[in-house]
Amino acid sequence: MKLASLRSLLRAATAATLSLAFVGCASLPPDDPAARDAYYEANDPLEPINRAIFGFNEAADILILEPAANSYRLLVPDPLRDAVQAFILNLLSPLVIANELLQGNFEDAQVATGRFITNTVLGAGGIADVATVAGMPYEPEDFGQTLGVWGIGSGPYIVLPILGPSNLRDATGRAVDTVADPVRIWAYNTDNKGFLVGRAVTGAVDTRSRVITEVNDLRRNSVDYYAAVRSLYRQQRQALINDSAAPQSTPEFPDFKSQ
Amino acid sequence: MLTRRTFAATAALLALSGWVAAPSFAQPADAGARDFIERLGNEAISTFARTDLSRQQALSSFTRLLHEGFDVPYIGRWVLGRHWNAATPQQQQEYLNLFERLIVDTYANRFLEYSGETFRIAGSRPEGERDTMVQTQIVRPAGPPVQVEWRVRQQAPGTFKIIDVVVEGVSMGVTQRSEFASVVQSRGGITGLIDALRSRVSQG
Repeated sequence: MKLASLRSLLRAATAATLSLAFVGCASLPPDDPAARDAYYEANDPLEPINRAIFGFNEAADILILEPAANSYRLLVPDPLRDAVQAFILNLLSPLVIANELLQGNFEDAQVATGRFITNTVLGAGGIADVATVAGMPYEPEDFGQTLGVWGIGSGPYIVLPILGPSNLRDATGRAVDTVADPVRIWAYNTDNKGFLVGRAVTGAVDTRSRVITEVNDLRRNSVDYYAAVRSLYRQQRQALINDSAAPQSTPEFPDFKSQ
Repeated sequence: MLTRRTFAATAALLALSGWVAAPSFAQPADAGARDFIERLGNEAISTFARTDLSRQQALSSFTRLLHEGFDVPYIGRWVLGRHWNAATPQQQQEYLNLFERLIVDTYANRFLEYSGETFRIAGSRPEGERDTMVQTQIVRPAGPPVQVEWRVRQQAPGTFKIIDVVVEGVSMGVTQRSEFASVVQSRGGITGLIDALRSRVSQG
């Protein structure tokens, strides 16, 4: 598919999403309090549209991304794939450092800075993750997490075309990270936009190649794959926002026998 | 450097923390839960590291370990949430049978494909009013280690069962509960879920 036609397809999808958003809201169950709890737990008022976009993403994954990830894993040796991953993650370091600072995690910001310098200098421009070996592990941070640390709720669940599961807060965070990314600013100023496309495509294929078994298992074993992914996304993001601290609210596990 | 003064301070601190922790009832259960996970993990590894078992033998060992380690009926009921009470006793029984078959289908293959993973107990903490969260680290031959937490409940003195598994912050119980709730809602009640489960397990 030509890039221009892909772009117009995306634009049409966005327009359709926006117009449907006002019509297709899953209605709030009025009476049953337990049904209302489930509704708020899933927090998915746009479910019909989300499911449609999810289906489109699944088709794109099965037709394009998954086969690409499979060949990538078969053809590219492990050390080279690790180098690719390390290089892409290293380029994100400025964003990680900035978000650690915005979250007030000064020690973690120091670690992230140490990682960036170590891997850039000793790791040959970021292709070797020597920092992890030296006891400075990678910790993913983004502006969506920062907003979460600041106490902003996730907002409704949103499935983004191509990009996948998100929510109002994380999609906003993603937009901010994209605009603030020094690599993007450099690429735009030096007319190297092709580099950004290359990075996005390689990153997507590399990330996908690391979860092939997991995705296959989940697809095969779930009775409602969409709902499973929605729950996984919400819990995973919450765990990232809490970092390694214990979750603030765990569900209740009552004693059924005494009832 | 361990000077005499820091040694004395450490000893005092340890004594104090021991004194603080001692009256808590979670403490003996806590150690028991850790031992339980350690035993169960070692047993699982020694079972699935064997290469002389037929697929059928390995499957029956898996089911035995599942019953030994997990309170499957409890998990099944918890996962169904508020819909449990709406179901008739026959539906509850059929649902629990299908739920166990789904668990076996889902996890047996992962254990049969055992490729040298090891685990170590990283810690434990009391969870809720009566449970212990045992934290483990699964070390894989390739890739970074995975943090897995086991929610363990003492059902009778000396009898422990796992009631939830949390992988990298994601609770398997919570995920399945929200999945099942979605199926019940979209397929018109518990009958719809039972149908979906039946067609899922008969595929595998």
